[in-house]
Amino acid sequence: MFAIETSNLTKYYSNGKVKALEDLSLQVNKGQIFSLLGPNGAGKTTLIKLLLGICHPTRGNATLLGTSIGNYKSHANLGYLAENQRFPDFLNAHQVLYYFGKMNGLKKTLLLERIPGLLQLVKLADWEHVKIRKYSKGMLQRLAIAQAMINDPELLFLDEPTDDIDPVGRREVRDILIDLRNNGKTIFLNSHLLSEVERVSDEIAILKNGRLIRKGDVQQFISVKDTYQLNLQNGEKLIFPICEKLNIAVRRQQDVYVISVNDDHHLNKLIDTLREQRIIIRAVIPYKISLEDFFIEILEEEKGN
Amino acid sequence: MKILAIVQLTFRESFAKKTFIAFFGISTLVCLLFIFALNLDIVDGLKSSVSIFGKETPELVNINKLIIGIESAVAVFLFTGGLFMSLFATSGLIPSFLQPGTIDLILSKPLNRIQILSGRFLGAVSIVSFNVIYLIIFSWLILSFKTGIWSGGFLLAGIMIIITFAILYSLMTFLGIVTGSGAFSLMITYLILFFSPLLLERDKIYALLSGKFYGYLLDALYHFSPKTSELGNITRLLVQGSPVSSWLPLWTSLFFGVIMYIISTFLFSRKNF
Repeated sequence: MFAIETSNLTKYYSNGKVKALEDLSLQVNKGQIFSLLGPNGAGKTTLIKLLLGICHPTRGNATLLGTSIGNYKSHANLGYLAENQRFPDFLNAHQVLYYFGKMNGLKKTLLLERIPGLLQLVKLADWEHVKIRKYSKGMLQRLAIAQAMINDPELLFLDEPTDDIDPVGRREVRDILIDLRNNGKTIFLNSHLLSEVERVSDEIAILKNGRLIRKGDVQQFISVKDTYQLNLQNGEKLIFPICEKLNIAVRRQQDVYVISVNDDHHLNKLIDTLREQRIIIRAVIPYKISLEDFFIEILEEEKGN
Repeated sequence: MKILAIVQLTFRESFAKKTFIAFFGISTLVCLLFIFALNLDIVDGLKSSVSIFGKETPELVNINKLIIGIESAVAVFLFTGGLFMSLFATSGLIPSFLQPGTIDLILSKPLNRIQILSGRFLGAVSIVSFNVIYLIIFSWLILSFKTGIWSGGFLLAGIMIIITFAILYSLMTFLGIVTGSGAFSLMITYLILFFSPLLLERDKIYALLSGKFYGYLLDALYHFSPKTSELGNITRLLVQGSPVSSWLPLWTSLFFGVIMYIISTFLFSRKNF
């Protein structure tokens, strides 16, 4: 069973004039961090809203943890952090978690037990009884993360969770997400911060104009086949002639050399030659581009198509 | 119960608004007035002396009439001013609930849309009921203890006021869902509230109309819309302990409220946010 499975999920607005999402078929495995990427208006938020029953599909269907999205009961195992979330500002953090936890059907005793721990986790313990109208944007966002976790959900939808959070806070959020994943939770992430996505995601999907254009393992996407980074202690003058002799493409990138070989034997031959020349090899690392570069590349490729 | 969380949250939200604090404050003042300012000495069902703020009134009045008069005044205040303030204070509850960032979060909870809307509706009705019951019960208890006259009609008037609010609020809910505007919903509801007496007197308007069509239109409007004027009259009769000649205005107004509520839940269930 998949955590999320969609089949030809489609959403049109304005009698079909606006195609927010078109024939999206997607599977998300349990226990992973799955990120959704795409330019503005690609349909990312629409997809989350369809999955959560916030809007209704034009056609197609989907399941969350094996239950149809039409069945609101499946929401008992979900957590959601909405983009631009608004909590009633006359409440304090404790009350926000209490009331929204009650909407999840949680018992008062369980909530009273769980709320302090969650506020501790998002570093709001000292603000528990302060009205949230006094909170900064970052604090509200951290409260929203705690709210999404109040029912200890199996599946978490986070729409821009690190918005308005400072770099230290972002790192803390990242650690929370990784912890949750390690505890078997599935996280469906929608974020513009590609560096964050790259750090935490197991899989990504790229949407453009409401269509799925790529889906797969993030490490596979950003790894460049048979290309490595060479970190050498010495031999700056020798590396280029050696590579030329072995027919290996090489370029210098800051303090390292980026080489493209034909296969593993080709790479080993280079290493042997460098060692014969008494060049000290500090590291040989598979070369990766940034997720941002990959994302731009894919979008431009699609534009060309 | 999950729906109770929405009711409680709406109750708190309403109470956070200053209008309800004002309503509550006025109610408390009325009760305090009855406790401290109104002094009654009763002999054989007639007052021997009545003083308000220490000043005695000169005439002898039957105490029953006096109590009914006071209770009628409270009921009229609640039916007009109380309803006016309550509708004003609750007009924003549905539109604010439908705001992006709020409704998304609530829809992600394991509640169906009918439960969500019902929670909001019941929350609004419960805060108004709280205020009405507070004033009615306490003023009734104070007056009854002071005079020994226990008239149940005043309590029934409280129920009528709550029902009237619920009927009008179902219209506001419908308008709030359709337009998303609290101000617009309020204007239309006030229109219904204040034009009800005109529709009741539609026979007198017929003479001024050029065609039969307008007559039919007025008739249709009268029969379909809530009859707040007649509901007010029923409330007055209940306080006075007089027989109510026809309950039909209550049933047709209730029917209007139920229809509005059903349409509202249908629209809310199909709405994309």
